[in-house]
Amino acid sequence: MTALVEVPVSFDDRAFEAFASALAAVPETDRVLVDAHAAEWASPFGLVSLLCAGQALRERSGARPLLTVPADKDVAHYWARTGFFLEAEELFEIHGPVPKIRQPAESTVLLEVTPVRVAGDVHKVVDRIQDRSAAILSGELGLEAKATLSFGMALSEACQNIVEHAGTGGWVAVHAYSWRRRLGKRVVVIAVADPGVGFRRSLEPTQARRYGDRWGDGAALEAALIQGVSRFREPGRGQGFRGIRKYLDRWEGKISIRSGTARIAMIRDWDEDVPLREGLAPFPGAQLQLVIPAVTQEAR
Amino acid sequence: MIAEIDVRAVLSRSVCEFHNDLVTRSTGRAVRSGIEAHLQEHPDVTVVVLDFSAVRVLDCSCADEVVAQLLLRSEPATADGRLTYFLVRGLDEVHADQIDEVLRRHGLTLVAEERGGAKRLLGRATDLMRTAWASVVNHGSAVPEDLASELSWPVDDARRALDELVGRRLVMRAEAAYLPLTAA
Repeated sequence: MTALVEVPVSFDDRAFEAFASALAAVPETDRVLVDAHAAEWASPFGLVSLLCAGQALRERSGARPLLTVPADKDVAHYWARTGFFLEAEELFEIHGPVPKIRQPAESTVLLEVTPVRVAGDVHKVVDRIQDRSAAILSGELGLEAKATLSFGMALSEACQNIVEHAGTGGWVAVHAYSWRRRLGKRVVVIAVADPGVGFRRSLEPTQARRYGDRWGDGAALEAALIQGVSRFREPGRGQGFRGIRKYLDRWEGKISIRSGTARIAMIRDWDEDVPLREGLAPFPGAQLQLVIPAVTQEAR
Repeated sequence: MIAEIDVRAVLSRSVCEFHNDLVTRSTGRAVRSGIEAHLQEHPDVTVVVLDFSAVRVLDCSCADEVVAQLLLRSEPATADGRLTYFLVRGLDEVHADQIDEVLRRHGLTLVAEERGGAKRLLGRATDLMRTAWASVVNHGSAVPEDLASELSWPVDDARRALDELVGRRLVMRAEAAYLPLTAA
């Protein structure tokens, strides 16, 4: 049997739960068709999460799941421009024409969908984005120069979670775009995702006993993000999220992490999110999103 | 003897000549090992200046490995009682923030010289220590009696603060005088 899982029309972190629920409902023996033909937009979070789903499904059945390309040519072109299909073709049997593109000089895609497996990949990511992010962060978002310097740090720490904790590879993507309806501002969004072991399993050997009955995906996310707990016992560990949080505090940015059946977010006044959600549909690995908003409102 | 180590050059030799950024824990470990190897080859070095001027991005994990772990792993004193002192130079504001954060987590303190030349202590230090250290740096040296007089402290408090700075390798002792690291 082939089960159909629809990609949300507008696939971002909020629409993700519908996708995860649909995926979790598919019997393990079924082959999956991930249907993106009606998709009109996808955030970097949506794109890297799709890749996580693809890898998890391929590992589960040994066969590549199917993926339909968005029917709208502009949407398909945008997905191609993000580098999504270059990664997806390894994981999915793709159906539909994949546009051939050349990256334009000016683009809202600050960093194409990029695989992160080893520390050297993190170097490449930071190196590639540093100059481009300077123009966007200070030019378009109106942030001070310091925001640019710290941006590479936050990006690096986010990516290192994959290298240090996932037990497998993952992806990162960074886009700048307008959150006109949600915030009335331009934002830079970093999305980092992997289909690995997730926070609960990574921290379980050192933390589960401490939490007792409370232990689960939500507790693991709290331990990592709020308390700076690491699976490594050395005192210098667990500083990555502390550094990211400090950076986001300075620039009114937001972090959210989805792992297993829980999602945690450090919310802002401008946001309507909730701090912690548990009992969600299971999804492999961890998916992290950082949002850095512009200083000024966008002209309407 | 002072050894000035260009951290970017160590990165180049230890990891990859094309990297400008001190990011990832494994990179930090490699760079620290490079610095430690250099110091082993030069046992007469007493003051080690880590120069970050050519470093672009420094993340927390790398700062922890390069700076905090280097301090923690360096012997408090050599067999003949000599101490090795460390200071960092050429930091921008963001580098200083990262290093300050990791040092605080370990309860460590370090002398830093920022890109504009301003000197300050990074990491965990009491107000007394910071005040005493600033006085040593401003005057180029200090003795407990002069420090006590300048700050209206009891002489014992001044001596304790200066000895604490020596114990944390933030100033050097030369007989009765306490000297900033840059005086070496």
